[in-house]
Amino acid sequence: MKEKIKEIMELVKQKLNSIKKSAEGQALRVEFLGKSGKITELFRLMKEVPADKKQEVGQILNNAKQDIEELISNKEKTLQEEELNAELNSAEKIDITLPTPNCTGSLHPRTIVQKRIEDVFMSMGFVVEDGNEVETEYNNFTAVNVPENHPARDMQDTFWLDNGQVLKTHTSAAQNRILKKHTLPIRAIFPGRCFRNEDLDAGHENTFFQLEGVIVDKDVSVGNLIYFMKEMLSKIFKKEVEVRLRPGFFPFTEPSFEMDVRCPFCDGKGCPTCKQGGWIELCPCGMIHPQVLRNGGIDPEKYSGCAFGLGLDRMAMLTFGINDIRELNSGNLKLLKQFKPEE
Amino acid sequence: MIISLNWIKEFVNLDGITVNELVKRFGLSTAEVEGVEYVGNDIDKVVVAEILSVENHPNSDHLHILKVNDGTGAPVQVVCGAPNVRVGLKTYFAQLGGNVKGLKIKPAKLAGVESFGMCCGGNELGIEADTSGIVELPNDAPIGKNIKEMLPIEDVLIEIDNKSLTNRPDLWGHYGIAREFAAIFKRDLKPLPKEDLAHYSNLKPLSIKNETKNCFRYTGISVENIKAKVASPIIKLRLNYCGMRDINLLADLTNYLMLEVGQPMHAFDNAIVKGITVIETNKNLNMETLEHETHTIEPGAIVICDDKKEPVAIAGIKGGLKSGITEQTNSLLIESACFDSATIRKTSRKIGLITDASLRYEKSLDPELCPIATARMLYLLKQIDNGVKVTSSFTDVYNYKYPTHKIEITADFISRRGGVKLSDAEICDILTRLGFEVKVNNEKITVIVPSFRGTKDVSIKEDLVEEIFRMYGYDNIKSSSMNMPLQPVDQIPIHTLEHQIKYTLASMFNLNEVHSYVWNYTDFNNQVGIKQESVVHLLDSSKSGQSGLRTALAPTLLKTVFENKNKFSDVNIFEIGRTFNELNKDNLVNEKRKLAVVLASDTKTDKELYFNLKQMVEYISNILVRTTVYFDKANDNKMYHPVNSCTIYNGENLVGEMGILHPTIAKNIDKRKHFAVLEIDLEKLLACEKSTFKITQTSKYQSVSIDYNFLADKSMPYAVIEKTLTDFKAGYILEHSLKDIYINDEILNGKISYTINFVVTPKNKTLETSDIEKFSKRLIDHMANIGLSLRA
Repeated sequence: MKEKIKEIMELVKQKLNSIKKSAEGQALRVEFLGKSGKITELFRLMKEVPADKKQEVGQILNNAKQDIEELISNKEKTLQEEELNAELNSAEKIDITLPTPNCTGSLHPRTIVQKRIEDVFMSMGFVVEDGNEVETEYNNFTAVNVPENHPARDMQDTFWLDNGQVLKTHTSAAQNRILKKHTLPIRAIFPGRCFRNEDLDAGHENTFFQLEGVIVDKDVSVGNLIYFMKEMLSKIFKKEVEVRLRPGFFPFTEPSFEMDVRCPFCDGKGCPTCKQGGWIELCPCGMIHPQVLRNGGIDPEKYSGCAFGLGLDRMAMLTFGINDIRELNSGNLKLLKQFKPEE
Repeated sequence: MIISLNWIKEFVNLDGITVNELVKRFGLSTAEVEGVEYVGNDIDKVVVAEILSVENHPNSDHLHILKVNDGTGAPVQVVCGAPNVRVGLKTYFAQLGGNVKGLKIKPAKLAGVESFGMCCGGNELGIEADTSGIVELPNDAPIGKNIKEMLPIEDVLIEIDNKSLTNRPDLWGHYGIAREFAAIFKRDLKPLPKEDLAHYSNLKPLSIKNETKNCFRYTGISVENIKAKVASPIIKLRLNYCGMRDINLLADLTNYLMLEVGQPMHAFDNAIVKGITVIETNKNLNMETLEHETHTIEPGAIVICDDKKEPVAIAGIKGGLKSGITEQTNSLLIESACFDSATIRKTSRKIGLITDASLRYEKSLDPELCPIATARMLYLLKQIDNGVKVTSSFTDVYNYKYPTHKIEITADFISRRGGVKLSDAEICDILTRLGFEVKVNNEKITVIVPSFRGTKDVSIKEDLVEEIFRMYGYDNIKSSSMNMPLQPVDQIPIHTLEHQIKYTLASMFNLNEVHSYVWNYTDFNNQVGIKQESVVHLLDSSKSGQSGLRTALAPTLLKTVFENKNKFSDVNIFEIGRTFNELNKDNLVNEKRKLAVVLASDTKTDKELYFNLKQMVEYISNILVRTTVYFDKANDNKMYHPVNSCTIYNGENLVGEMGILHPTIAKNIDKRKHFAVLEIDLEKLLACEKSTFKITQTSKYQSVSIDYNFLADKSMPYAVIEKTLTDFKAGYILEHSLKDIYINDEILNGKISYTINFVVTPKNKTLETSDIEKFSKRLIDHMANIGLSLRA
């Protein structure tokens, strides 16, 4: 029996020496340790072994079985390591610096600026509305207190349509509808496309975007308006800004203001953007005229409100350094493609 | 409007306040300052000198060699080209080392003769408009005296933005601005020196008739025996500094009055115009103005006629030539009147004549200014020519008087609107400084608005809020947060969707967003063969160039492709915008919110582009809107390919259309490119029924994956097969997908082979072979219902 075991062990070693792949180890395992393997065969012969020798022979067989398993496993491990090394050594080096297909899509600069501003307002509890582009004379002028004889109503300034309506000249045209639609207190902004019958030049467009906002509640004050505009503009320009009010005149607000912001591009030191003045005129605003509130079904004795407008074209031009307003409607893809989409 | 600070200082003492401070406070409290110019400090060493001798220049026929006495001792030789040189003339002389608006005076040789200074023209010094020669000073002008001691040429000119004065008719003259400065800096406003018109009340009145309600007030007075011909140097200087030109005494005086008081005036030659009738013309009239231009005045305009009803002026805009002042004029009828602002504006725009007078009348001038201006005019006229005699009473036809506004406020109301606590005393102080009358009675403040603020600017409480806080200083108002209740906000779904679509198309589908105009480009459309009729049109398309509003977005996008076609091999663009397709029963436009996409490519096939569009539509509908759309037969829009285009439906609702661009149009735009076009009505899409979603319970039993090759007629849309596959139920959890399409007319007899993969998962037992056989047979029978057979 011992002799046989010795023979088998020699055979195992011989065979192990000749295998080249780790996967071949399993075949050896079957040959020697499997159901009809050479060692397994020897176990079958155990019944012929005299009782007093059984323990000794059994031990020898078991040892042999363990030794063979160990030999095969070790060989397998060695081969696996070699195989892994060979695989790694022969791996193709992937040049990850090669380009991936780029996102070549773009959003219009107005859209980008509009969304940024809308997000600020939404975070402050505003609803984002938007109005029509074609409006009635009532909504565009009368409801927001533009007098019957006001020059803005002239054909020279406003695009009148052959059905008696107008292309809205300002986002304020949506005010009446919004004041009527919402319950008090109201916090709403309404961006939209506006139109003026104008000749085009680098600073003038007949088709442009504004964004307007209204806040109506009990005792809304000039102090509230200043607070609100300062917070909002600080968010938009991503830095604490300083604002100032100057007198302005608009039919739909009383008092009316022009709001200047301390130039966020040079911190007021003077730069081409603020024309060295240190301030940028940014935002016409004011306390909503009592007649406008009344027209919207709100009692101006009980409630007051403020309204403000931002030129989205101007904001886009300031933000991205676009010098000619006509670029915005031009469809010039060389320019427009530069504005990567942002959510 | 240009304001001379020297002129302002005639009415208010501004000592101790820097120009910067003046300008800053004025900008923050009143109106926008566009610029500040320091004038006169570029004139140096210019003195009064007398011409002692005049000799012809040997080398020139227009130059003369002068000897002048500039008060420094020896006569100075100077070469001068002015035609009005003569012995004894006193003029302004720039000495060596001097400066005349940047021109440094040095010894020079003119045509070979040495010259040691310069005799100055009024225009060169900026003190007169005259360019014909050197300044002619009066004989008693003291030789050697510096011009700065003769005339206040050093001044600060403040340019105020006219637009920001639109609602302030009271600020269109220096006196009004001075009143504002006085209020801002708490200084006293000096009274305006003027004649007392009551002195002449015993004289015969003029014949003045007013026949139109649009002339609110017409006043006149006549004077005679005017000998003087030129205005004083200071009047000329101020006119020139403020952007006008001096012309002659009477024109200068009316202009001066307008700049000072803000009231346009007109002087008629009393020898020609003996009385006045103001009419509103009901027929076209032609009038030749002082500038020798003929204007046609249309019905509705106010016209000033003489007592014979001959038109003599376009009211509030321009005087007529015939009645104008000439060299011979020595008697005047002085008009000081007030007209309806809208009428003046309309007439001025219609005839295309905007004047300093019409600009002021447009702002709703205070009729109470009329007598003030006349009284001031007489005062100035008499200062220049004390022989002037008034020959009529001040004749005043006052048709329309603005109501006096009385407004009641409380300090509480003002404080709440401003967000700053103000006392009665503070409020009253500010309002009084601005010329308002105030009475406090038991917490109530009664405010009477002065006439110069009452024509349109101040009539309600909120107007007073503005007056008080602009003077208090907006920069003194502390910012403070609001107390609004916390409440959820429902955003507007269509607006949210628009942003989602834009972001998706740009970030996932590589599209570029463009913005275009809302009108139809008929030239472009005609050129490429797109038919687009408009429902509404602009009444005036002179500036926009187009008149019809668009009924579809895609044509404007195609125009954009056309404009970019040579710059890019692929143009993939979209726009979300409005179209104007129909009028409702009230004749109002029904706007549609549309998304349009145009893909144009040199390299991609029609089929690729068409499927790209489909993918976008499905992403938008399935993911963003959570609904399902299907693609139906070709749409009848002639812009699209008649075979390869389709309509997009949800249930019965048409939500859009898409397809390959009609080949004729495509070739007209760009011969190399393939085009696919999509247009969706976003509101209709959003209104679609939302897909409901229920999870499928998973199974622990093993799935089986089986492929089936079905043969179908080529004419059968795959959607029909897909629907039949979806409808198949067999008691298992089923997933199917289209794995392959095989076309080979020879082998398949003109049919098409679809390889459909099914993954079959049993719910509660292991699948046996017999189960699968049964499943397959049922599926094949089911598909046979629509004529599909299994490929052998």
